[in-house]
Amino acid sequence: MDEIVKTTGLTKLYKGAAAVDGLDMAVREGRIYGFLGPNGAGKTTTLKMLLSLVRPTAGEIEIMGRRLSGKTRIELLRDIGSLIESPSYYGHLTGEENLKILQTVLGVPKENIDKVLRIVRLDRQQTKRVSAYSLGMKQRLGLASALLSFPRLLILDEPTNGLDPSGIHEMRELIKSLPREYGMTVIVSSHLLSEIDQMAEDVGIIANGKMMYQGALYDLHRLDKPKSLEEIFLGLTGKERSL
Amino acid sequence: MMKLIKCEFMKTRRRYVLATALVVTAAMLAWIYPRHQSSDLLRLGWMANLYELPLINSIFMPLLSIIVSSRLCDIEHKGGMLKQLAAAEKRGQIYDAKLLYGLAIMLFCVVLSWGATIAFGYIAGFEGDVPIRLYLLYLLFTAAPTIAVYIFQHTLSLCVKNQAVTFFAGAIGTFFGTFSMFLPQLPWLRRSLIWGYYSVLAFVGLFGWTKEDRYKFAHFDVMEIDWTFFIVLIFICAAIYVIGREIFKRKEL
Repeated sequence: MDEIVKTTGLTKLYKGAAAVDGLDMAVREGRIYGFLGPNGAGKTTTLKMLLSLVRPTAGEIEIMGRRLSGKTRIELLRDIGSLIESPSYYGHLTGEENLKILQTVLGVPKENIDKVLRIVRLDRQQTKRVSAYSLGMKQRLGLASALLSFPRLLILDEPTNGLDPSGIHEMRELIKSLPREYGMTVIVSSHLLSEIDQMAEDVGIIANGKMMYQGALYDLHRLDKPKSLEEIFLGLTGKERSL
Repeated sequence: MMKLIKCEFMKTRRRYVLATALVVTAAMLAWIYPRHQSSDLLRLGWMANLYELPLINSIFMPLLSIIVSSRLCDIEHKGGMLKQLAAAEKRGQIYDAKLLYGLAIMLFCVVLSWGATIAFGYIAGFEGDVPIRLYLLYLLFTAAPTIAVYIFQHTLSLCVKNQAVTFFAGAIGTFFGTFSMFLPQLPWLRRSLIWGYYSVLAFVGLFGWTKEDRYKFAHFDVMEIDWTFFIVLIFICAAIYVIGREIFKRKEL
């Protein structure tokens, strides 16, 4: 299977300290890739580098078989949807107006707005100002923005942050359906191990900016058969019982 | 670029940016007009305006720049939209579109206040014809420093999340720019501040004014216009634009 994202020696230094340290990441197309790591491990920085929001200090990024550079950046990013850290929105506008702005920027068909609003089940709330949305609704609007162009690659950073249990379940089921229904590849970062366990097919575990394990989740469980993902994760990241 | 400018228009819905700008412009005009009541000032009205307005502009135009740029850029910071936009469009174009939209509002207010000043002159009954060539020159010399100040404020508002910082920086600049007008013995001060160029480019002087007779025997004259500083200002505008755009492009979101 082809790799849709491949990083080689990806490094980001902040004042000499490595936030991401020589990361080799490989994401297979059409899969859900769970990106796990404790707080401050370098997950968000890595995802931001994939989106050119942060400049790598060293290393290379290849997306859809092309090297990410100043020249290819916009062309590649048009095929990537993202939800980084927290959902982005204009609070004084309605959900629909927010998506209309992004639709204009991206140059995608207007019909996509209704489609994504239905997918994230915000179609009944589309005329309400986003400032009046609950956190869960804002999160769903963030996902709708990421889905708007029906991209080949979707990057979601902690998409279930702030959601209640039913919201988490709903978001998880939605993410799981994306590769099947729209042929998307999803990179999803989370600190919730159970969430990744139930959602991802491949997993990358990062600690102190370094990749500790990368491969199919199934293989990870097979390697350490009697252990739960939590135990494996704690063993790999050296955070025994400290989480 | 056009689609991004269209987006800027869509984003400002319910933000009342233009309405706010018009209120500030109206406040400026309300401050100017009641001053021309005496018969001496009605006699000297057209030239008196050209003498006094640079001072008023040096206070109101930077204030308007702070308000407009801050209201336009704050919406991006509040909802973290810059990272979403930067992941879809060239950063330089995001910077340019917002700048053009803000400048359009600013220049609309400049032209509006200019037109209102002339209209007021006719309504108040200023003597003689409007010296249109001088008024056009005044329009140019008001627009140029306003553009420089706005590009500075735009860059600051776009790069710094906390809009109180941008307000403070703008207010300090405005204070020193206006203050420099009262220090003619220190011409380098106003020439070294973009806010001081309303005064640097002022070209009408007051002669014969005394404390006792005030404007009775006074007259206004056109002083020699030094175009060097206009050209310097154009270069300053270009430099702020190039540096500001580059800073925004390199900023990590």
